[in-house]
Amino acid sequence: MTAETVVPISDLRNSQLRFRAMESGHRACLGCGQALAARLVTEAAGPDVMLANATGCLEIFTTPWPESSWRVPWMHSLFENTGALASGMEAALKAQGKSTKVIAMGGDGGTFDIGFQALSGMLERGHNVLYVCYDNEAYMNTGIQRSSSTPHAAMTTTSPPGKESMGKRHLKKDIISIIAAHHIPYAATASVAYPSDLRKKVRRALAIEGPTFLQIHAPCPLGWGHEGDQSIAVARLAVQSGLFPLIELERGRLAGAMPLRDVRPVAEYLKAQQRFRHLFQDAPRAREELEHLQALADHNIEIYGLRGDHPDKLDSEGADTVRRGGARWA
Amino acid sequence: MALILTRGGFSLPGTSINFKTGTWRVQKPFHRHLSAPCHSACPAGENAQAWIAKVDEGLFQQAWETLVAVNPLPAVTGRVCHHPCETACNRGQFDEAISINKIERFLGDEAIEQGWAYPVDKPRKSALRAAVVGAGPAGLSAAYHLVRLGYNVTLFDQLPEAGGVLRTALPAYRLPRLVLDAEVGRLLSVGIDFRPQHRLGRDMSLDELKAEYSAVFLGPGDQKSREWSIDGVVQRDLHVGIDLLKEWVAMGSVPQCTSAAIVGGGNTAIDLSRILKRAGVQEVHVITHQSLPGPGIPKEDAMTAIPREIDQALEEGVVIHPHRGIRRLILRGEKVVGVELVHMKKMDKGGKKQTIAFEGTETVLHVDQVIPAVGQEVDPFGMEDLLHHKHAFDADPWGRINGRDGVFVGGDARSGSSGTMSGAVGDGRRAAEAIDAYLREGLPPEEDTTPTIAFGQLNVNYYEHAPRQQEAVLPVDRRKGTEEIEGGLSASQVSLEAQRCFSCGTCFACDNCWTLCPDQAVLKTKELASDGSHYVFDFDYCKGCGLCAEECPCGFIAMEEEI
Repeated sequence: MTAETVVPISDLRNSQLRFRAMESGHRACLGCGQALAARLVTEAAGPDVMLANATGCLEIFTTPWPESSWRVPWMHSLFENTGALASGMEAALKAQGKSTKVIAMGGDGGTFDIGFQALSGMLERGHNVLYVCYDNEAYMNTGIQRSSSTPHAAMTTTSPPGKESMGKRHLKKDIISIIAAHHIPYAATASVAYPSDLRKKVRRALAIEGPTFLQIHAPCPLGWGHEGDQSIAVARLAVQSGLFPLIELERGRLAGAMPLRDVRPVAEYLKAQQRFRHLFQDAPRAREELEHLQALADHNIEIYGLRGDHPDKLDSEGADTVRRGGARWA
Repeated sequence: MALILTRGGFSLPGTSINFKTGTWRVQKPFHRHLSAPCHSACPAGENAQAWIAKVDEGLFQQAWETLVAVNPLPAVTGRVCHHPCETACNRGQFDEAISINKIERFLGDEAIEQGWAYPVDKPRKSALRAAVVGAGPAGLSAAYHLVRLGYNVTLFDQLPEAGGVLRTALPAYRLPRLVLDAEVGRLLSVGIDFRPQHRLGRDMSLDELKAEYSAVFLGPGDQKSREWSIDGVVQRDLHVGIDLLKEWVAMGSVPQCTSAAIVGGGNTAIDLSRILKRAGVQEVHVITHQSLPGPGIPKEDAMTAIPREIDQALEEGVVIHPHRGIRRLILRGEKVVGVELVHMKKMDKGGKKQTIAFEGTETVLHVDQVIPAVGQEVDPFGMEDLLHHKHAFDADPWGRINGRDGVFVGGDARSGSSGTMSGAVGDGRRAAEAIDAYLREGLPPEEDTTPTIAFGQLNVNYYEHAPRQQEAVLPVDRRKGTEEIEGGLSASQVSLEAQRCFSCGTCFACDNCWTLCPDQAVLKTKELASDGSHYVFDFDYCKGCGLCAEECPCGFIAMEEEI
C-alpha cells in the first residue's frame, strides 16, 4: 500500500502547518543529525530571524550555488568570525530599530576551536544573538578530523587507534561551562533525540534579550560510523547514558537538567558506533578506556544530579512521548 | 527570471527545491498496516485497536458502532469473555496490558444507557429469508449479521427467551440479567423475527426449514452432558455439573450436601464450585488433570476455565486439586463417601496425547457428592441426519458442512470451535458472510491474513509507562447472592486506558515521522491519506535514510528496496 492523496504534493508542501526556513533539496547525507537539528531550530524560531552561518557541513549542503535551501535571510561567514558577523548583523538591525532576531550557527569546529574567540567576544559584548552549535564531535565536512569536541577515545582520521593510542587522547572540551562562565543569561544543551525539549530551548533562548547559547548533539552517520536510520537511536543513548547531559544554565548557574529515568550503560551507546569499535577488542587498554568513558558519564550524572528519584513526564523516558494526533509538549 | 551571475552572487530563497534528492534513494519507506495482536487474537474477530482509537478521540458512539459491526453483544462479552486480546496485548510486555475487556463493557453499557441504535437498516420485505435455530451467542450473532447483510431473519429457540447458554448457565454474578435482557432485547429489535418455544425436531423439521427459507443456520450449542463413570461405576444419586448449574441459575437452589468434589477444569466446573460455596456447601473441591493457569504454563496443560474466574473461586475458598484424577469411587452401598485421587498428567505417549496416572501417588478425599463437569456434546434431537452419531458438527470455520448446501452451523456445536462465547459470536458472523456468499453464488470473504505486529517491531521509546486502570471488585465476604462481582470502569478511566494503547500497526498521527525527517520529505495531510495515515512521502526529496521507519512508534512505516 503506497501513499496517495488527491492533493498534489507541491500544494501539500506549501500548506504545511509549520514554518519552513530550510527547504528540501539540501545535500545532507542520509539521516543527517545536523540537517534535522537545523530544521528544528529554524522552525521553532519562526520567520522573523536572520542567520549567520559559519563554514561547515550546514553551510555547504544548504547552499550549493546557485541554489539555497534557506527561506530566511542567511549569510555565510568564515570559520573563525561567525560571532563577529552575527554581532554586526545584530548591531545593524538595532540601529534600524528592527526586532528581527539573529541566530548564529556553527559546527563544533567553528565553535569550540576556530570561531571561539569571535564567539567569546560576542558573548562578552552582550549582543542579542542566539548562537547555536551543532555538535557532531569532529570536522566532518573536511574528512572527520578531530576537534576539541571529539570525545575521549573516539576514532577520527587524525586520532586513529593503533599501537600507540586508543583514539583521541584528550577529553571533550567542556564548552557549555566555558560559555556559561561568560555570565550570559541562558545557555543550554539539547539533542535531536528530544525534539520537543530542543524546540522549547530555542524558544526560551529567543525570548531572552541578550546573548544565548545552545549546544545541540547531532549525530553524523558518516563520521560516527552508524547507519543513517540510527541517528536518533544513537543520540538518545548519548543522553540516556549520561554522556551528553541535557542541561540549562542561567547566568552561569545550573537551572535545569533532564533527569535520567533508566540510566543506560555507556557501552550500549559506544557499541552502536564504528568510531568506538576499538574499545571492544579483548585487550586491557580497551577495557580501561571503556571504563574511563563510563566514569566520565558517571561524573556527569553526579555533578549535574541527573539520576531522577521518581519517574517524571519530562525525564529521559517521558520527554519524547508521542500522543494520538501529534500533541507534543513543545 | 534571468539570473545575472556576478562575483559574490547570491542564491534565491528556497531554490534547492529544484534539486531532487530523491534520485539518491536506494530504499524507500512505505506505510504498512499490520494487525494488532488484540485483533488477531479475538475469537469474535473484533479489531479492538480500531475502536480503542475512537475512544481515545472521545468518540464513544463511533467506537461502539465500530465494535458492533463485528460483535453485537459488547455488554455481554465485556463481562464474560476470557479476553485473549489482553493476553496478546503488546503493552503487556511493556507494563500491563490494556483493559480491553472493560472498555468493551463500558461501550456496551453506554449504548444501552444512551439508547444508541445499532448501525443496521431494516431488511427490505422482498429480501431473501434465512432461518437461524438457537438464540444463543452464535445464533444471535448470525441473525444480526444476516440482517446487516440485508436478509429477513427468523430466529427460533426452544426456550421462552433468547440468550441460550448466557441465560441458562451463566451465574448472574458474572452476567446480571438486566444487562443480558437489555442487550439481547435491543439486538432482537433490529428487525429479527424471534420465535421462542420452537424446537427443531418437535415444532418444525430441518427439511421444512430448508423448504421455507433460502438458508438455515444452526447454533444449537452443546446441550447434552458427556457420559461419565469411573471404570463403568457411577453412584446412584449422580448429579451432572451442567444440570446443577442450570438448575441454580433458573431456580436458585442446589441439592444440599456438606462436601463435594467437582470433576473437570472448565468454566462449568469453576462456576459450579462457586455456586456450591454460595449455597452453603462447606468443602468444595475441584479435581482436574490440568494445571492452574499461570506464567510459563503451556496453554494445552492449563485449565480451560477463565483464569480470572479461577482466581475468584480460590479467593472464595474453593480448593483446586490440579494434575489429579479419580482412580476409584469409594462407595457405601450406592452412595459416594469419597474418592481416591491420583496424580495425573496429559502427556505424549507414542505420538498420542494420553492422560497418565502415576502409581504410588494415591490419596483419599472424603466427600459426599462427586459431580462430573467433564464437558457437553450436541444433543442430536432433530439433527440426527446431519450429525452422523458424532458429538459435534464437522464444518469449516465458515460453518459449511461438507455436501450440505444451504445449511450452516456455528458455536459450540461446531467441532473445532473455540468453545467460548466470543468464538461463537465469530462463528455466527462468519457463517452469515458464508450464507451471503452462498446466496449470491460467490465465495465467502477470505480470512484476513494481515500479519500480526510483534512487540519488537514497535519503538517503545515513544510511549510512557502508565498504570492500568483497575475496576472495583466485590470483596469476598460480600459475594453472597447474585450481585455482580466485577465493577466497570468510569468514562475517565476508559479514556485513560485508551490513551495507553500503542496503536500497534496502525498510524495514530503522532507526527513523529513529520518531526524527525531531516529532509522535510514527510508531508502532513489534513484529510486522511488513502492508507489511513495523515502523512505522505515526498519521493522527490526522500533520500531513503530510514529514520522515519526506525522511529515510527507503532511500526506503521517499513523500508523496501528500490532500484
